[in-house]
Amino acid sequence: MNRRLRAIVVVCLLTGFMGPGTVFCTSQNGAQSTSPPATQTPAREAWQREFDRICSRTQEAMSFSEEDLASLVQRCDALAPQIEKLDETRRKVYLGRLHMCRGLYAYVLESKRNPKK
Amino acid sequence: MNRKRFVTLALILLFSIPSLAQTGTKKKRPLPYEYGRVVLNNNATKYEMAPVVFEHWIHRGKFTCRVCHVDVGFGMKAGNTGIRAADIERGYYCGACHNGRTLNDGKPIFAACSTRKLTYEDQKRCDRCHSVGKRVPSDFDFATFTAPLPKERYGNGVDWEKSEELGLIKPQTALAGFTPKNPLVVQKDFDLNAKVEGMPDIIFSHRKHTVWNGCELCHPEIFMGVKKGNSHYTMVDISEGRSCGACHVTVAFPLMDCQRCHAKPVQP
Amino acid sequence: MLAAALLMTGMALAQIYLPPAPPPPAQYGRVVLDSHAVRSPGAVVFDHWLHRSKFTCRLCHVDIGFAMTANGTGITQESIRKGYHCGACHDGKRVVEGNVVFAACVSDQYVPACDRCHAAVKRGVRKYDYQSYTARYPKTNFGVDWMTAEEHGLIRPADELAGFVPAKPRMPVRGDFDIAAGVNWVRPVQFSHHKHAVWNGCELCHPEIFATARKSAVQYTMFSNIEGHHCGACHLKVAFPLNNCAMCHTRAPMWAQQ
Repeated sequence: MNRRLRAIVVVCLLTGFMGPGTVFCTSQNGAQSTSPPATQTPAREAWQREFDRICSRTQEAMSFSEEDLASLVQRCDALAPQIEKLDETRRKVYLGRLHMCRGLYAYVLESKRNPKK
Repeated sequence: MNRKRFVTLALILLFSIPSLAQTGTKKKRPLPYEYGRVVLNNNATKYEMAPVVFEHWIHRGKFTCRVCHVDVGFGMKAGNTGIRAADIERGYYCGACHNGRTLNDGKPIFAACSTRKLTYEDQKRCDRCHSVGKRVPSDFDFATFTAPLPKERYGNGVDWEKSEELGLIKPQTALAGFTPKNPLVVQKDFDLNAKVEGMPDIIFSHRKHTVWNGCELCHPEIFMGVKKGNSHYTMVDISEGRSCGACHVTVAFPLMDCQRCHAKPVQP
Repeated sequence: MLAAALLMTGMALAQIYLPPAPPPPAQYGRVVLDSHAVRSPGAVVFDHWLHRSKFTCRLCHVDIGFAMTANGTGITQESIRKGYHCGACHDGKRVVEGNVVFAACVSDQYVPACDRCHAAVKRGVRKYDYQSYTARYPKTNFGVDWMTAEEHGLIRPADELAGFVPAKPRMPVRGDFDIAAGVNWVRPVQFSHHKHAVWNGCELCHPEIFATARKSAVQYTMFSNIEGHHCGACHLKVAFPLNNCAMCHTRAPMWAQQ
C-alpha cells in the first residue's frame, strides 16, 4: 500500500481508539448516575486543597507508616484553625469531616503502635 | 412515731420495686417501606414547618453510606447534624444534590429549602420533605423500586448487600465537589470471628462493610477498640444503638435477622 | 380507719404482686384494637384462638411484624391494602387450609363485611365459634392447652407464609435450662427452650424481649412478668397465664419436700 495512505490509516485508527479512551480516562469517579451541575464548580481554595490532600487517602491508611500517619494527624490539627474561621455552614461541615478524617488516622496510628496480641 | 415512719417507708419501697423492672417488650416494627425513616425536627416546628421525613431506602439504592455520612457530613443520629435551610441553600448537606441542577438519571433533582419569602409553588416543594402528617406524592414508589431486588426478611425486606454485588444497584461511591479526589478503595477482607456462648459463631466481614462505609464512618467513633477482638459488644449494648447497633437497629438489616451475623455453627 | 387503710393497701399490693385474673376461656387471648380513627367502623376484636390453631406465633409476630401489645403495630387500612399486616393473608387470594381468606378493608364505605373484624359490640358476625371449633382440643382451666394440642398433632401450625418473606434455614435451638428464682424457697424454674422455639423461633424473643446471651445477666422477676415484660409479654394475655404457677414452677417448693 501507498506509504502516505498507510500513515493516514494508522493515524485514523489511533485517534479512533484513543478518542473514547481519553474521555473515559478523565473521569475519576467511576460510573456516576448523578452528574455535577451545569455551572462550573468554584475553584478549590487553598485550605480545601489541603483538606483534599490529607483526607483523600483514608482508604489507604492501613498501608501508611507510623511517621506518615503522625504527620497526617498533625496536618489535620494545623488545618483546624483555618476551618474555624470560616462561615458557620462550612465550618460545621468541614470540621465534622476533618474530625472523622483525623480520628481515623489517629486510630490506625494507635493500632500500629500497640501491635495486636 | 418511729413505727409509723418505718411502715410508711416500707410501703413506699414495696410500691416502688416494680417500677425498677427492665425493659423487656417487643418494639414496634416498622413496615418495609417505613424502615430507615428518619424524622428530623431540630428547627422545623420552630419555623412552623412540618418536621422533615427522610427515607433511607431511595438514597441507599443510589449512594454508598460513606458518601453521605462522611463526604457530605451527615450525622448518624437524627438531629445530630444541625442542618439549617441556609446550609442547604448554600449547597451543603441535602443541598449537595437537592439544588435543582444536579442530575439524577438525566433529570434535575428538585431544589430543597428557600430562605426567601415562600410562594405557593415553593410551599409545594417544601412539602416534599417537610411531610410529617401530610400525604405527599413521591417520584419513587417503594414497591416498584424494590421489585427487582433480591428479598430478605425484616428491615426493608431487601438484601441491599446482594443487590450491590449483583450489580442491580450501583451506589455511587463519590460525589463531585465533596469526595476528595481519590475514589473509594474496598478494604481487604480480614474476618473477625467472635465466639458467643451457645450461639453460632459470628462471621464479620470487613470487606462487606467497607464497600458501603469506607473506614471513617466506623473508626474510631463507633468502634474504638484498636486490638482486634478485644472489645466486647453485648447484645444489650447493640440493641441500645452502640457499636453494631449504630446502623443495625434502624437502617441496615435489623438485629432480628440473627443468622446474617451468627452464621457459623458452634464448634463442638 | 386502720382496717380500711390496710384493705386499700392490700388491694393495691395485689395489683402489683399478683397476676390479674384471666378472662373466661372463650375470651382469653382477645385483643381489642382501637386506633380511634375518625372514619373507623369501630374497634377491631382479634381473638387469638383461631389464628393460633393455624399458625405459629413466629409467623405473625416476626415475619409479618405484628406488635405484642394492642395498638402497638400501627395497622391502617392502607397498610392492609398494600399487603402488610392483616393484608398478608386477608387479601382475597391467599388459600389457607383449602379456604380462600376473605379480603379485609376493601371498601372505603361501611359495608356489613366490615363487621367480621370491627366487631366490638356486634354479635353473630363471626364465622367460627369458640366452643365448637376448640371442642376436640385439650383444655386447661384457662383455655386451650395449645402446647399439648401441637405435641399430639391435633394442630399443625404453619410457620411459613409462601411468598411473604424468604425462608431461612433454622438456627440450632439452645437446650433447656433452669432459671433460678430470687429467693431460695422457690425452686429453680425449668425453662424449656425447645417448647418455646416450636412456636416462636428465636427472633420473637431475642434480642428485644430477652436481650442477654448470659441467662444470669438480667434478672427476670415476677414483678416484671406481671407488668408485661419478659415472660409476661406472652404469658399474661395470650399464652397460658401466670396464674398457672405449676406450669413453670414444676418443682415442689422447699417445704413440701422431704
